[in-house]
Amino acid sequence: MEALDEYLGPPVVLEDESDSSDCSSRKRHKSKLPLAKSKLPLAKPMCVEAHVENSFQKTCRICLEHVREAMLHHRWQEAAEYMASYTQVLEDRSTVKAQPDKELVWRMSTEILHHLPNATVTDYNIIYERMKHSGFKHYLMICLEHSFHLMLHGDIEAAKHQVSIAESWRHGKESVSQLQRIRLIHAYRSLLDYIMWCEKKSTLSNDNPFESDSQGMHTFFRLASTNLQEILKNPGVWDPFILCYVEMLEFYGDNEEAQKVLNHYAYDNSFPPNPNAHVYLYQFLKRHDTPDKKLMKVLKHLQVLVPSHELMLTYSCLLLQSEKESHTQKALGVLLEMLDFQCWRSNLDVWKCLHAVIHQLLQREERATSVQTQMAVRNDWWPALHFTSFHAKKDLEENSELFEVKASLVEILCPGQSPRYTAEMQMLTS
Amino acid sequence: MDEEDTDGYKEPCNQCAAVDWGISDEGRFYCRSCHNVIERTREVVDMSFTSNSNRISRIGNKSRIRKSERGYIWMLCEGFQFILQNQADALLRLGVAPQFKDDVLCQMWRLYLQKSQQGYTRNPIRNLRFRGAALDSDTDMDSAAESVLSDNFTDSGSVLCSSAGSNAESSSDWLGSDYSSTGTSASWKRSRSLMTMKKTLALIHLALVWSREALTLSDLLRLVKEGHVPYVTAYEDLPEEMKLCGPDALLFHVESIPSHRSVHKEAQVLVQFLQLPAFPPIIPEALLHPAPLSLRYLTDANLPDELHRWVCVLMDRAGMADQKRHTLDGGLRPVLPRYDLQAAALIIVTIKVMFGLDDHTEWDLSNKADSHDDKDMFSFRKWYKLVQAALVEAQQRRDQDTARKQWKGKKLFFVDKRDRLIVTKRRRISENVQMCLKRLSSCPVAVHYGGASSFQFCWGDENGSDGPSLHHTKLDGVISLSNGFMTPLNLNYWHPPLRPCNPRTCASHYPSMEPTLPRSFVWLLQLFSFMLDVEAWYLFDEVLEMERRVFGIKTPQIGQQVETRKWLRTEKTNATQTGDPVKKPRTPRKGRNGINI
Repeated sequence: MEALDEYLGPPVVLEDESDSSDCSSRKRHKSKLPLAKSKLPLAKPMCVEAHVENSFQKTCRICLEHVREAMLHHRWQEAAEYMASYTQVLEDRSTVKAQPDKELVWRMSTEILHHLPNATVTDYNIIYERMKHSGFKHYLMICLEHSFHLMLHGDIEAAKHQVSIAESWRHGKESVSQLQRIRLIHAYRSLLDYIMWCEKKSTLSNDNPFESDSQGMHTFFRLASTNLQEILKNPGVWDPFILCYVEMLEFYGDNEEAQKVLNHYAYDNSFPPNPNAHVYLYQFLKRHDTPDKKLMKVLKHLQVLVPSHELMLTYSCLLLQSEKESHTQKALGVLLEMLDFQCWRSNLDVWKCLHAVIHQLLQREERATSVQTQMAVRNDWWPALHFTSFHAKKDLEENSELFEVKASLVEILCPGQSPRYTAEMQMLTS
Repeated sequence: MDEEDTDGYKEPCNQCAAVDWGISDEGRFYCRSCHNVIERTREVVDMSFTSNSNRISRIGNKSRIRKSERGYIWMLCEGFQFILQNQADALLRLGVAPQFKDDVLCQMWRLYLQKSQQGYTRNPIRNLRFRGAALDSDTDMDSAAESVLSDNFTDSGSVLCSSAGSNAESSSDWLGSDYSSTGTSASWKRSRSLMTMKKTLALIHLALVWSREALTLSDLLRLVKEGHVPYVTAYEDLPEEMKLCGPDALLFHVESIPSHRSVHKEAQVLVQFLQLPAFPPIIPEALLHPAPLSLRYLTDANLPDELHRWVCVLMDRAGMADQKRHTLDGGLRPVLPRYDLQAAALIIVTIKVMFGLDDHTEWDLSNKADSHDDKDMFSFRKWYKLVQAALVEAQQRRDQDTARKQWKGKKLFFVDKRDRLIVTKRRRISENVQMCLKRLSSCPVAVHYGGASSFQFCWGDENGSDGPSLHHTKLDGVISLSNGFMTPLNLNYWHPPLRPCNPRTCASHYPSMEPTLPRSFVWLLQLFSFMLDVEAWYLFDEVLEMERRVFGIKTPQIGQQVETRKWLRTEKTNATQTGDPVKKPRTPRKGRNGINI
C-alpha cells in the first residue's frame, strides 16, 4: 500500500504558474521578465509563495471550514452534508496532503456519526473499514478506535475481533510509533480477554459451576496473562491492565506472582514515577493481611510522591500506633505536610490525628522542640492558611469540634502569633 | 501472469475496496492489499468470458480485444479538438450563433495547428504524439485518426489555411519518436505550442470576440464554473477509442478554473502567436461595446437606467466610443481589450463622478433625495441597503456552492494501469463514505446550478427576486439644471495619491491602499468584482486606468519613471480648482457642455 500511495509523486503542474490570481504571484511573475535593459534597481519580490492553491483545493478548504463551523455549532445534519462533499479530498492526486486529509475525514466523520440520531453500526463499520484500508499509516489507530467504539456499544466479541485483526497486521519495517501502537493493541486485546473472563466468572458464580465452563474461563486467563506478562515488563503506565492481571492472578491464588508484578511496577526505576503503582501494591498487601511494617514501607514511598494522598492519614495512624519515638516524629511530619495542602484544611480526622501526635510528643519532651523545628519553616504562612478569624468563624459554623481541636493546637503550633483564631471564639461567646 | 487471469475481474474488494487481485496457489482469488480471499477461482473468470462461445475460439479473440482496449494512438491536438468541439456545441446550445463554431473557431483552430506545426504542414512536429499503453502501433489506426481530422474539416471551406497539407503520408515516420528525449530547443518550442486546457478557453474567447457574441470572458468563465460548458470533466466526453494514458494524459486533468487574468493573458499570447488579421470592428451596436455592456451591468446592479446617459457621456470623454478602440487589430492595435472590466470600471467612475463616493457626499445627497416625497427619486442609501442585502446573500450562496462543488468526474481519470488501481480504490473509498453520510443527512450533495443567466441578481416584483427594481428611478436629486445644461450636483472628485511606480516590478497597490479608501468606494468595487467574479484589485487597477483615460492623466509608461516622480500626491481635488492636468487630475465638467436639454 505504501508503494501505491507514494507512487504518484509530486503533482504535475500543468497550468502556468501565473494562473494564480493573487497579487503576489503576479508580482513574482512580472519580476521574471527580462529586466537587464531596465536601468532601475529591481525591487525584490516581497514574498514568494511556495504553494499555489488550485480551485479544487480551494473547494476542499472552504468545505472543511463549513464542516468545522457546523460541528462547532452542533448543526450535525449540515455537517454531514458538507462532509459528504468533502470526501472528494480523498481522491486528490497530490500525495503531499493526503495523510492529514485521511485522518481528518476519519475523525470528523465518526464524530459526526456520533451525533446523528439515525446512525447505525453499519455506518460506523463502513467508515472505519474504508478509512482503515485507505492507507497503512492509520491502520492500527483506526482498528483500535473501531474496537473502542464496539466496546462502548457492548459488542465485546466484535471488538476483540477487530483488535485481533490489528494484532496480526504487519506492514513493512516496524517503526517506533508502530511498535508503540502494537503494544497498545496487545494490551487492549488482553483487556478484552479479561472482560470475557469476568463475564464467564459471573455466569459461573450464578449457576452451578461446570467443568467445561471453568476451563473456558481458564483459556481466557491464559490468553490474557501471557500477553500482559510481556507488556507489563515494558516501562509505561499500565494501570487498568495491571489491575486486571492482579485480579485474575488472585482469583487463581497466585499471590506470589501478583505481588512480584506489583513490586516490579512500583519499584522498577525504568518506569515513570506512578503513585497508583504504590497504591495498588498497598491495597494488595492490605487484602492479604500483611504486617503493618510492610504497609508503612509502601506508604513511605507514596508519601514522597504525593504528600497529600488520602492514604497518608492511614499512614500517620499506623505510625502513631507503632508508638516508637521516631515514628511519632515521622507522623508529625506527614500530617503537617498534609495540612500544607488546601484540601485537608478543614478535615477533622487530620486535625484530630495531629492533636494526638502532638500530645504524645508533649508527654515525652517538655518543650516540644520537634514541633517547633518542623514549624519553623511554616510559621510565616500557616497562621494565614489555618488560623485567621475568618477560618475561626467558618469552622465554628460548620464544625465546632474541628474548631475546638484547632484552637487547642494554635498555641503549640504558632506560638507568639496574635491569637486571632481564638479571639474570635471569645468574641462570639462574649 | 496473474494479471492475465485477473484482468477481467474488476469488482472492488469487499474489505478494502481495492481492485488488485492475485491468484493463490490453489487458484483462488485474493486481494493483494488486504489479503482477503474471495469465493472466486481462476476457472470462473474464464467461464464468464466464454458464456456464449466455446473456450478455444475465445483464446483467439482475446488478443484483439486487448488491442482495442489499449485504444488507438492519437495526437494530443486530436483530443483537444474533441474537447473544443464539445465546448463549442455547448455554447451553441446556449444560443451562440452557429457561425461561431464552423466559421470562426474551426478556422482559428486550424490556424493554431498550422502555426504550431501540428497539422496542415509537410513537416509536423513529432513529439506531441499521444501514446497508448503499448509501443506497437498499427498504421490503420493512424489513418483512422486522420479520418477524424478530415471529417471535421471538410465541411467548412478552408480560407485561412490554403497551404494545409495532410500528414497522413508521414505517419510512419512517427514511430519511435520519444516524448521525453526532446532537447532544450524542442522543449521550448513545445511549451510555446503545447495545447493546454486553459488555451481552449482562450481560443474560445478569441472566437467569441471575433464573432462579436454577447459573451464576455467573465461570462465564459462563469459558464465553465457552473458546468454549462464542459471543462473540468471534459475528458469524459472523449470517444471510447481515445484512451487517456501516459504522463501526457495529465494535460487533460483539470483541478482549477483559470482566472480571468490568466485566460486573458493566454488569449493575448494566442493573438500574437496566430498572427490574426484585424478583427471585425466592435461597432456601438455590438454587445461587447461598452455602451450596451454597461447598460447590462447597470441593470444587473439595479442602478437607474438614467445613469446610462452619463456613462455614455463619460465614455465619449474617455474616447471610448470610438469603435477602433475596441477592435483588435493584429498590426495597429494588438491589445485585446477586457470588455467586461472596462464597462464595469466605466460605471464605477460614473458613480464616483455623480455621487462623490467619499463617504460623505453620497450620503448627503441621499438625505436630500430621501427628504423628497417623490418615491421615484434615486437614493444612494436606499440602493445600497437593497443591493448590500442581496450581495451578502449571493456571496453566501456562491461560497456554499464552492464548498459543495464536486471536481471529480464520473469516469475515473488515470494515467496507467498502476494508477488505475489507486484511483479506483480511492474512488471506492470516497464514494462509500460519501454514500454513508449522504444517506444520513438525506440531502443532495452536488451543486445544481440553475439555467445559465447573464445576470447575477434579479430585480423586480416576481417571486424569488432579490428586491424591488430601481431601474425606473430618476436622478433628479443629484443633477442640477443650469443654463439649460444638466450638471451633477457633486463637484468633488477624489483620486488616490499618485506615486512613482514601475509597472514592471510593482504589483497592484490595492491591498496596501484599501484601508485608506472610502468605504463606499470599496463596497462598490466589491459589488462589481463579485458580479464579474474577479478579484477586487484587478478591477481597481482597471478603474485607475479608466480614470487616467477620462481625466487625461498620463499613463506612466516604461522609460518615464523619472517623470512620474515629479507627480504630486493629490488626495482630494476640488472641481473649481482645476489646475495643471498633469499635476492634478482634472475633474469632469463635460456635463456643462455635454448634454443640452
